[in-house]
Amino acid sequence: MKILVVDDSAIMRRIISNNLKSAGHSDIVEAGNGAEAMEKLGGIELILTDWNMPVMDGLTFVKEVRKDTSYSKVPIIMVTTEGAKTEVMEALKNGVNNYIVKPFTPETLMEKLNATLGK
Amino acid sequence: MDVKYISPFVESVYHTMQTMLGEAPKRKEVVMKNDNHAHGDISGIVGFASDKIYGSVALTFPTETAVKCYNMMVGDNVDIITDDVRDTVGELTNIIAGGAKKIYADQELSFDISIPTIVLGKNHVLSHKVGTPVVIVPFVIGEHPFVVEISVKFEKNAAFKSKTPKTEAASAQG
Repeated sequence: MKILVVDDSAIMRRIISNNLKSAGHSDIVEAGNGAEAMEKLGGIELILTDWNMPVMDGLTFVKEVRKDTSYSKVPIIMVTTEGAKTEVMEALKNGVNNYIVKPFTPETLMEKLNATLGK
Repeated sequence: MDVKYISPFVESVYHTMQTMLGEAPKRKEVVMKNDNHAHGDISGIVGFASDKIYGSVALTFPTETAVKCYNMMVGDNVDIITDDVRDTVGELTNIIAGGAKKIYADQELSFDISIPTIVLGKNHVLSHKVGTPVVIVPFVIGEHPFVVEISVKFEKNAAFKSKTPKTEAASAQG
């Protein structure tokens, strides 16, 4: 499974990618913001994206992905510090499939990932 | 500044450090800041604002503490401040601000937070909003000190919905 990890923090991308690799996911692509991620969508089967990023934020990125018929069904998990109910609702309304609030444990990340993939 | 307004940040520090580093820090006595200099070598600072509340929160580490936090988070073994260590300080500041934002939102005091800025150097200057008091909350994680600086200002008629938000920090020492 090809997974796209989008976060402006290189450390957070590394933490998420390391957790995914530990769970057996080796085909991981990284991007530092939504605009960069738009250029790396080819073949992507799952997206994990931050919300607050420079250039193009995560919510705008999600909206752009959902407009593209090729990727409108790709599962998206938002991984963000935005934990207020209004923000969670806004993300879900705009096409996010699942939501993880930072800080998170590796267990939470994998639980949400498996739930999103129906495992 | 009333402790209930800084307790969401303190609570977020505990939760963030415990979750990301696997170790909860211990808090020392809170003091008011009376100059612009940081108490460490590297800081992350995040501003926040809305029509009800504005301010900033900064996380300042001595080099050794910043490096230790980075090593604990990713299992690396560096001993100097690298780009990754800088990024770690920024991300921890971002997560702590985000955690406090959620607690404030539960009190119907929403605000937006900025992307973190990193400042480096001995005795570097940390600029909070002019005219707002700054509280220093010192912590130690293991044997390693760090401080959190919090500056919060309310607009007229804005306050917590309840007298004290339900946080562990509200009942913690100090």
